[in-house]
Amino acid sequence: MKVGLSWDLAGDDASVLWPVVNLEAEAGDNLGYDSLWIGESRDRTCSCPSPAVWLTYLARRTKSAQLRAIRLVTHANPVRVAEEFAVLDGFCRGRAGIAFAAAGAAPGQVQETIDFVSHAWALDEFRYRGEHIRFPAHTPDDAPAGASTPQRTAPCVPQWEWGPEPPDYLTVTPKPYATHPPVHAEITDDDILEWAAVHGVSPLITAATPTAEAVERLARYRATADAHGRSRAEVEPVLERRLALDGPSDAHTLGGSPHELAEAIRAATSQAAVTHLVWRRGEGSNGDLFRFASDVQPLLQT
Amino acid sequence: MEFWTGAIGITKMRMIPSALANGYDLFAQDAASAEEMGFDAYGAPEHHFTYDAFLPFPLGALAAAAANTTKIRLVTGAMLQPLYDPLEAAEHAATLDVLSGGRVILGLGMGYRPLEFDGIGTEKRTRGARLREAMEVIRAATAQETFTHHGAHYHYDNVTLRPAPVQRPIEMWLCGGTTEAAARRAGKAGLPYWLANSPYERAEVMVKAYREAGREAGWPDEQLRVAAFKDVFIGDTMGEAEFLRKMMIDTFYAEHILGYGYLVDDEGNHVYNPDENHPMYRQFLDSLFCGTLDETIRELKRYEALGVDAMFFPSIQRELISTRIIPEFK
Repeated sequence: MKVGLSWDLAGDDASVLWPVVNLEAEAGDNLGYDSLWIGESRDRTCSCPSPAVWLTYLARRTKSAQLRAIRLVTHANPVRVAEEFAVLDGFCRGRAGIAFAAAGAAPGQVQETIDFVSHAWALDEFRYRGEHIRFPAHTPDDAPAGASTPQRTAPCVPQWEWGPEPPDYLTVTPKPYATHPPVHAEITDDDILEWAAVHGVSPLITAATPTAEAVERLARYRATADAHGRSRAEVEPVLERRLALDGPSDAHTLGGSPHELAEAIRAATSQAAVTHLVWRRGEGSNGDLFRFASDVQPLLQT
Repeated sequence: MEFWTGAIGITKMRMIPSALANGYDLFAQDAASAEEMGFDAYGAPEHHFTYDAFLPFPLGALAAAAANTTKIRLVTGAMLQPLYDPLEAAEHAATLDVLSGGRVILGLGMGYRPLEFDGIGTEKRTRGARLREAMEVIRAATAQETFTHHGAHYHYDNVTLRPAPVQRPIEMWLCGGTTEAAARRAGKAGLPYWLANSPYERAEVMVKAYREAGREAGWPDEQLRVAAFKDVFIGDTMGEAEFLRKMMIDTFYAEHILGYGYLVDDEGNHVYNPDENHPMYRQFLDSLFCGTLDETIRELKRYEALGVDAMFFPSIQRELISTRIIPEFK
């Protein structure tokens, strides 16, 4: 099982807190934690509204860990998101990944954003007609729904000879370093759960959801995916939890001695077919990174 | 006068083929190198949907530069502001400002390539007005605890930027334009002005127009700051310098300056792929200074005498600029 780190970003001064997070991220990378997660938020003094900027900073401070962002669909221009993460993926040589959270957006907008970004990374010249996204903006109403590509009808004209008329199809550049960067959907309602399971999009449940509910949703995701013939190998279900090493468990926290904690993690993740646990650092979560890596992680792997 | 320098590695240049990820490594290392050489700022530009995978997100790339450096300022030059929501731009900038310990400078341009506006999904016609309004929004967002803004293009009510940047406000420059009208608009708005590559005589006219408009509008002199992009090609002989300039044109400018409508004539029309005798092309060539080391120093001293606060040089011949030119100005 993979284990990653995320942070609460609770504090009075980002100039003080963020360097501490950076040190933990670098330590986590050195200790073999598999992923580092920065979530987009604006509700606290030390919130991070731009995970791509922060993670591109961490790209140069880390060597191995996956760099994962949680982006809010309501604040995301999907073209820019595709570009930001391609740049990040280049700087970290294929370690970038992204999760989309609805944050109040309609399930259809979440689905369309994921569909658009995946096509932007995979295709060369294309256009996109959706309910929420038109790319390029002048794409006509009678264009095929979703992504479509041009028919080759004339010899190639180099881009710098196109002149002032915007073309009907564009290529989003640069492309990510990895062929298919990991893409997750935060499972906040049944529509997104069903769509993600049917389409092979990896699920994520954050620490805000109680453990029992998170496990139930992820188990339902797996059952739906199985019913539609999707392979377990194609997705990476992620469960974010608070962990309390030598501390008590509660609705959002898994706790106990190293052995008890490993048992609690294994119980939760096996029910939900989770392959990637993210340790949410901050309030109600404690234990040092080294001790978890040395005392708990081996119990999760055997 | 400050010395700023441009990035390498942010595109796959046609005549210098390389993997983009190698270019990104080089970019981050190059920032540290520029810092060691004594440059005051390291810059990254922005373009979208290009055949050569040009960098579309300068503040992201500069975050990688921030991680490799400790004191050099990190400047966007130019970031195409009308392609962003201003608050979103302020958020990216504030994030980098915190990570870098207050080293961000925003050089903001209005953009000119139609395909970029169509691809991002924003109107091109109003880009100048939106750039100036966006700079008001970014100033308010990065300077004030909470701000409200209702303008012609952008509306915000009681917004608090989180995290607060280290700089209050974040330093900003309005980039570009090669016409007096553009300079006057910047002066009237009291915005620090970053000239596009221009021959000295043109730059002199524009700086005077900028300051005149600024003073007429009541802005104090210390706010009417000027920076200038300046490509210089230095050789032992003029022939050697001109060879270097030709190399830059063949590898990059022949496409990026000539093919996308960067050049604008006196009527405000964008010029696409002009022949080499076109007056705008001749003016552009004249803006790329060629000379010996002594001639280059004399040319830059003219800009210093004009009161230019910062000069931005491309990465070519950076070591020579560092060891032989910067000491003449410090």
